[in-house]
Amino acid sequence: MSASGRRGALDSGFTMDETVAEYIRRTVLKIPRHEIMEMLTMWEFLSKTQLQTINVHQIKERISQEVVELCEENSASIKQAAILDMIYNHTYRNKKVWTVYQMTKAAGEETDSFNLADFKYKFKRSLRSALKNVTINFREYEDNAIWIRIAWGTQYTKPNQYKATYVVYHSQTPYVFISSLRSSLPLLCQALVHASNYHDIHEMELRSRCIDSLKDIVFKRYSQTFQTYHPRPLQERNVPPEKVDPRIIQENKREKERIQSVNQEVFGEGLQPKIEFAQYKLETIFKGEPEMDILTEKEPFRCVVKFSSPHLLEALKSLAPAGMADAPISPLLTCIPQKARNYFKIKERKGILSASCLGP
Amino acid sequence: MRRSGRPSPWRRQDMDTPDSGGMTPLGRKTAETGINFTSTTRFSRGLTFIRTHTLFGQSPTRRIIPQTSLLQENADPQKIAFLLRKQWTLYSVTPMYKFSYGNLKEYSRLLSAFVAAEKQKGLAVEVGNDLGIKVTLSTLSGLKGTDQDQVAILVQIASRSQLPFENAEDKVVWSGWFCCISGDDLLESVPEDFTCLSLFLANGAESYTAIVGSWFQKTFDCYFSRLTISPLNLAWMAAMWTGCKVDSHMAATELVFSVPCIPQSLDISYAIHPEDAKALWDTVQKTPGEVTQEEVNLFMDCLYSHFHRHFKIHLSATRLVKVSTTIASAHCDGNIKILHSKHLIGVLTLLTELAISQIQ
Repeated sequence: MSASGRRGALDSGFTMDETVAEYIRRTVLKIPRHEIMEMLTMWEFLSKTQLQTINVHQIKERISQEVVELCEENSASIKQAAILDMIYNHTYRNKKVWTVYQMTKAAGEETDSFNLADFKYKFKRSLRSALKNVTINFREYEDNAIWIRIAWGTQYTKPNQYKATYVVYHSQTPYVFISSLRSSLPLLCQALVHASNYHDIHEMELRSRCIDSLKDIVFKRYSQTFQTYHPRPLQERNVPPEKVDPRIIQENKREKERIQSVNQEVFGEGLQPKIEFAQYKLETIFKGEPEMDILTEKEPFRCVVKFSSPHLLEALKSLAPAGMADAPISPLLTCIPQKARNYFKIKERKGILSASCLGP
Repeated sequence: MRRSGRPSPWRRQDMDTPDSGGMTPLGRKTAETGINFTSTTRFSRGLTFIRTHTLFGQSPTRRIIPQTSLLQENADPQKIAFLLRKQWTLYSVTPMYKFSYGNLKEYSRLLSAFVAAEKQKGLAVEVGNDLGIKVTLSTLSGLKGTDQDQVAILVQIASRSQLPFENAEDKVVWSGWFCCISGDDLLESVPEDFTCLSLFLANGAESYTAIVGSWFQKTFDCYFSRLTISPLNLAWMAAMWTGCKVDSHMAATELVFSVPCIPQSLDISYAIHPEDAKALWDTVQKTPGEVTQEEVNLFMDCLYSHFHRHFKIHLSATRLVKVSTTIASAHCDGNIKILHSKHLIGVLTLLTELAISQIQ
């Protein structure tokens, strides 16, 4: 620590906690070099003059050390450190896996108008009454998103800042997005329900890294498909005529057009929400082709099918045009955004085969 | 360990160029022209070793179901256990010239010196410092399909313990073993000076594999190449291994498909409950004691049609890249993991056959 830093600390009579200093140091180390200044500015904890003294062109270990020294001057506490961590995780929110939860009201209950201060107070009180050693921080963003960061301790140990849970709550909706939760789920759920004046909360079968896409799915912000009986013919769209050699004949032109058109209908025209996987637990009866004469038992043929891709829905959308799937592709796949789930259990329905998406 | 999937043989002539650095890591040099058989007279005899078991290198239409042959009495259970539950990378090896089982100690000494020398290239280390590397060659008794099979050889690289006290254990950092199970069906009369250990399995750093391989190639005038497994052979493995009787806990039969030719990559994992998979196979497999191509095709078609019924996707248009069963798991890049000692010989028999047909 530089001499000036120490002087500043001694003057105020405050010595920054070692664990806080280390936590800030490690958080700054995580930030890519070109983002450091921006995030520190957003943090609004170091003054402009202080920020100007930081040299971002040296090795990151030195940068983080300088930041820690400045924080020492300003007497940083765990609260400020936590806020810096929240800024980092908000920027890189798509690195975590988010699970979606939905809250419900009891029958007949009215929706009260939302009061942020009230929410925060009740949430903290609920958690703290059960667990003394927790660090709780809030940060509000545009689009009514409230980010909550919780570091969990036990009765005898201080909160582990490195394994914090993140919660994103949109106050105008019953949806909560939770990531990095190892234990303490019941405590957290209880606090959320209590603070937001809901009655109950349950986990949806919906999980992904891209939280923005999860929001698109539950808030219905993607371009939805409308199940039309007659698909629109292609001529209605503005397709400029191609200048092709007239001797080239496209085989199956009609079929290709039909596939494109049907594919657009079932997937919708806009960009698909981004999810990375979908899992189907199948408990249907095995039925091969009639000539196969196989497995005539009526027991379910149990399998688990998992699809994974960096952008699953776009990949599935490209299957039929590539000739690897029928058009229309199965509604089991296209219903993912509408049903807002990517975990399914499929059981045999009496009579015709159909996708009955039962709950867990 | 993802690879392009093409076999990447070491080029023997490249070993001698001064700037090759001695270490030619596998996978970096892709073979455009394949194996060069006309370089030495000894080598050109390679072609006559292989009985024309298959016409033009096609896959056989039927294979005998290996009986769960108990390992021969002289098998060392500890050494056998060492081979199980590890990921091995597969190679096919052409017959070795003038390899002698009596000289294993000598080979250990020479290979130790070679490995130490290769590792030191480019490093400023004092001469004579052997970096604490020790190589041992030993026999693996009990790994034979028939009495004509050559005894398997195990090569291990251990780093000498840095601890001062005497009985500190050496740590094995790399292992490789040669074997040839029931290879005599496929190898015609082998001239006296040649030893056929056609299958090589390696576990550990690729740099060591390259060094050990190049020493064997130089010393015994043989040729290693990566043994990739085609989707056709993976399907055989899925069928044959699902059919194996297992007393202990059964794991799911899982097939992993990779979808080519679409902008976003897509992987499909299709895992079937082991009892249901076995029940399906038992109704398909009719010929006692052997498995035919038709049966394998029917088994796979049943699985494809059950999948298509739900998802409308043609799995047959995708690429089967990995198969996992209770017995063993195999990846198309040429990686294998064997899980039960009871079926070790059966799995190795199939792999030996694939290795020999690749040498052809």
